[in-house]
Amino acid sequence: MSHDSGSSAGAGVESLSLDLLAHALAGVRDPRDRKSCRLASRAFARAEAASRRAARVLRREALPRALRAFPALSSLDLSACAGLDDASLAAALPVPGSSAEPPGLLLPVRRVLLARASGVGWRGLEALVAACPRLEAVDLSHCVAAGDREMAALAAAGLRELVMDKCLGVTDVGLAKVAVGCPGLQRLSVKWCREISDIGVKLLAKKCPELRSVDISYLKVTNESLRSLSTLEKLEDIAMVSCLFIDDDGLQMLSMCNSLQSIDVSRCHHVSSLGLASLIDGQRFLRKINAAHSLHEIETCVLSKLSTIGETLTVLRLDGLEIFASNLQAIGSTCKNLVEIGLSKCNGVTDDGIVSLVAHCCDLRTIDVTCCHLLTNDALAAIAENCRKIECLRLESCPFISEKGLEPIATLCSHLKEIDLTDCRINDAALQHLASCSELLILKLGLCSSISDEGLVYISSNCGKLVELDLYRCSAITDDGLAAVASGCKKIRMLNLCYCTQITDAGLKHVSALEELTNLELRCLVRITGIGITSIAIGCTSLIELDLKRCYSVDDAGLWALSRYSQNLRQLTISYCQVTGLGLGHLLGSLRCLQDVKMVHLSWVSIEGFEMALRASCGRLKKLKLLGGLRSVLSTELLQMLQACGCRVRWVDKPLVYKG
Amino acid sequence: MDLSQNHIHNQFAANLYYQFGSDNPFPSMGTQQQFPPFTSPPFDASPSTNIPHMDWNPATMLDNLTFIEEKIRQVKDVIRTMVDSGGQLSCHQGELAQKQPVVNADLTCLIVQLISTAGSLLPSLKNSSFLSHPAAGHMDMANHVGPSSGLVPNAMTVSEENKEDMCSPEDYEELFKGWTDGAIEEGIEIDNVLVEEQDMKDGDEGIDGENLPPGSYELLQLEKDEILAPHTHFCSICGKGFKRDANLRMHMRGHGDEYKSPAALAKPPRDASAEHELVKRYSCPSVGCKRNKLHKNFQPLKTILCVKNHYKRSHCEKSYTCSRCHTKKFSIMADLKTHEKHCGRDKWLCSCGTSFSRKDKLFAHVALFQGHTPALPPEEPKTCSDQSSHAGSHQESTKVPNSMGSSFMWGASSGDNNALDIKGFDGCNDDFLSTANFGSFNLSFGPADGFTGEPSGGSFSMLPSEHFQSAQKKGQN
Repeated sequence: MSHDSGSSAGAGVESLSLDLLAHALAGVRDPRDRKSCRLASRAFARAEAASRRAARVLRREALPRALRAFPALSSLDLSACAGLDDASLAAALPVPGSSAEPPGLLLPVRRVLLARASGVGWRGLEALVAACPRLEAVDLSHCVAAGDREMAALAAAGLRELVMDKCLGVTDVGLAKVAVGCPGLQRLSVKWCREISDIGVKLLAKKCPELRSVDISYLKVTNESLRSLSTLEKLEDIAMVSCLFIDDDGLQMLSMCNSLQSIDVSRCHHVSSLGLASLIDGQRFLRKINAAHSLHEIETCVLSKLSTIGETLTVLRLDGLEIFASNLQAIGSTCKNLVEIGLSKCNGVTDDGIVSLVAHCCDLRTIDVTCCHLLTNDALAAIAENCRKIECLRLESCPFISEKGLEPIATLCSHLKEIDLTDCRINDAALQHLASCSELLILKLGLCSSISDEGLVYISSNCGKLVELDLYRCSAITDDGLAAVASGCKKIRMLNLCYCTQITDAGLKHVSALEELTNLELRCLVRITGIGITSIAIGCTSLIELDLKRCYSVDDAGLWALSRYSQNLRQLTISYCQVTGLGLGHLLGSLRCLQDVKMVHLSWVSIEGFEMALRASCGRLKKLKLLGGLRSVLSTELLQMLQACGCRVRWVDKPLVYKG
Repeated sequence: MDLSQNHIHNQFAANLYYQFGSDNPFPSMGTQQQFPPFTSPPFDASPSTNIPHMDWNPATMLDNLTFIEEKIRQVKDVIRTMVDSGGQLSCHQGELAQKQPVVNADLTCLIVQLISTAGSLLPSLKNSSFLSHPAAGHMDMANHVGPSSGLVPNAMTVSEENKEDMCSPEDYEELFKGWTDGAIEEGIEIDNVLVEEQDMKDGDEGIDGENLPPGSYELLQLEKDEILAPHTHFCSICGKGFKRDANLRMHMRGHGDEYKSPAALAKPPRDASAEHELVKRYSCPSVGCKRNKLHKNFQPLKTILCVKNHYKRSHCEKSYTCSRCHTKKFSIMADLKTHEKHCGRDKWLCSCGTSFSRKDKLFAHVALFQGHTPALPPEEPKTCSDQSSHAGSHQESTKVPNSMGSSFMWGASSGDNNALDIKGFDGCNDDFLSTANFGSFNLSFGPADGFTGEPSGGSFSMLPSEHFQSAQKKGQN
């Protein structure tokens, strides 16, 4: 569709109306295909520009152009925009009230994603709010420097959705600004904002009656907050992960609010079965319960209350609890519509329990039995027999599972999309069975050291949709296996080859055929050199994350290639590599999207080399991992500059040990 | 014997309080109508068995009197030499000034001794119907009073020089003026106590609680001067005033070994008679005040401290001004200190301009009014020059623990100072005591001032060492 349509029918396309073209473009899902269309025909480019709703800007230089080019933009993702700061953001935005810009030219953007945009402060946000009068949703998560002033700037927009996870500077005052400024707020996440207390939450509940979703995870709030939140009549979704001051009384208070659809009390250590039972009691729409790592065991009071919501409950996560076969039977018989169940790290989960659970829950799509050591092939057989719609199976660390158990799964569950077999001691025969699941997207085979190239050949023969492949410490894998994967699974985006020590540059040459590869982990591949990296850099142009830790033979040649070709690279680990200051400086100076670099124990790089390299990339870096000794040696001017740009440096102190 | 000694001690304390601590020695005089009426006291039956602790020992009495005689002779001698030398040469002023305190102390000692002796005598006076026929022994005592009262004008002139150390001359005057009739009154009061003691046995259940019915308590009204008097406890020997009884007891150790015994140093137990006394309540002397007994909805004050605080707060000039806001005024130093601790700090400001001292109060206000929001603190110059501010904040964060540490250290060292003071008491160096106390007081406030975040960083860091020096100086004194 993509490549030919533009070039062959170019003239005809020009005559079609923009609406029609936009409609046609809407059918093209893959952004690369859309790009081909744009490049092939001006008409498509115009249609695309007129109809484009969402944009993800990767560099600050491109921002003004992107905003001008797409006048219908409603969603703007700036989370990966390198070097974005107040000045560049404000400069890219139209200024309201200025004579040059009539008010109609203000941005129609409704959602802005600014996660991890640590360079943006309140001035930039004020400019954004002023330029986007229809702004509804902002995600400011992980902007650790953001505080009350940033919130005050955002509050002026009258938002409906606000995510401020880990904005460490936000206090009750900032929350109050938001609460007063955004009375129509529907969704709010204040996860990890540790300064927020009961007082702020109380005001929030008073001022924002429209709230539907609230996340107060990891806050130091008490039952009083739940009391205030229980007054929200429209509250549907509440998450309070690891709120250690909340106990059963709080849940009892929350049960006043009977419109809840989803509750997450995971890691609330003072919550017991009694509290959960009192919360469930009286709920009619509850669909999702996450009680992972909170209760010690699930008691009969909870199980009996589950029957009242048995019809609606679809997701139940009970990770880390003491679960017995009888419990699972009770859950299975009451919650027949379960779609997802989480039982990871649950003691006492046996084959009998799983058999009695799946006997009634035939709609299950996701089953997580990570670390349920007692499970055997019988459980898998029962799952395959009853849950034909299963899509995701997490079987990590179930040592008794073998190819005999996976055979019925593979033959009966054709919808399987994700399977995690990390540390399961399976062999090539198991992969032969799994190969029949042609829908498979994610396959994790970490620590399965008995898997060889033969198994990968089976997989690559039929699983052409595979997106993620994890071969962590599959030490029997060689270059030939990679050749098979690269030829059969062209769609792979994430590939983990850490500690597959037999892999050489030849293997990487095969990997470089994976054009869509974004994340590649090559940790401790001691045989690969700059040549292999060069082929990767040239072939995998979409590469975003690359891990080369302990690739002792990788040298400057690899870095030169990366800096020349991997223009999308955002995260890079080159600790223990044999690179010099020159290569490092060139790399950091030329990669314009690079934001996160881990470079510990680069013993060939001089202090001046570090200094120069860091200066070359100063405005863009957001995260750095450096050896602690450098802290005192690097110039304070440089460190202050890094800090001013919103870059956080992790100083590590560990001895230089060569592993191989 | 034990009991009688105890009694003497109590009497002694009571005398001290009434004679020195107040201009009006008998506050209960004004409210006598509230006392239960005199009902035939059972004295006639067998007084000595009825009230055994009222017994007096003639031997000790004799000892006391000889001591007083001896003392008077000594003082006479001293003053005679003074008169002689003063008549001859006027250049002996320095010597004269040296001797004055000695004379003062001696005189005070004499007076107190007299009073205490007389005090122990009084109940027996009453019992032996002293009012009608004074006995020979008592006449003896009256003779002694004569010469000593003759000395009074002398003492007054002498003491005028260093008033602050001694009691005011009015006190002495009062003391001697009210000598005879005061003794009588004293006797009457003791009678009342006795009577009350019997009444209380019947119904002391209804005494507790706040809403005491009028008449169920003993109502006292101190006068303005008494309330504002700086000291309430006075040394019976040198006359120095103290705010606390404990301080007085510490001071007394300097006057001899008999005051160093554990019994003398211990907190005087609440004597048996006090427990059975009527609950005391106080009235404010200011007419028209709700705490004044003439007020329609009179509410009595519970303790003398309450009286003092109430009177100062409500009826005195507020002379202490807050050094931060320069608007709040207080009449009590402690109130000022409490205010200054919070003044200007943790100001929770609303967008409407209203400020609150507590966050929850501000948030309650914001919740109540539409459109009000908490105001952000004024913008620090941080965003303009990020680099310098980062360095600054880093320094600050390291500085705070340091200052914390030093404040702790100073707290400990001031404690040591106190310990030293107690040892130093043997030398009876009152000056040392008071200044050292003052020093430690300052020390405890020094770091607190620094913490309130005044922008004077330099002086802040200097503060502890300054205090250290001052404390050292005082120690050398």
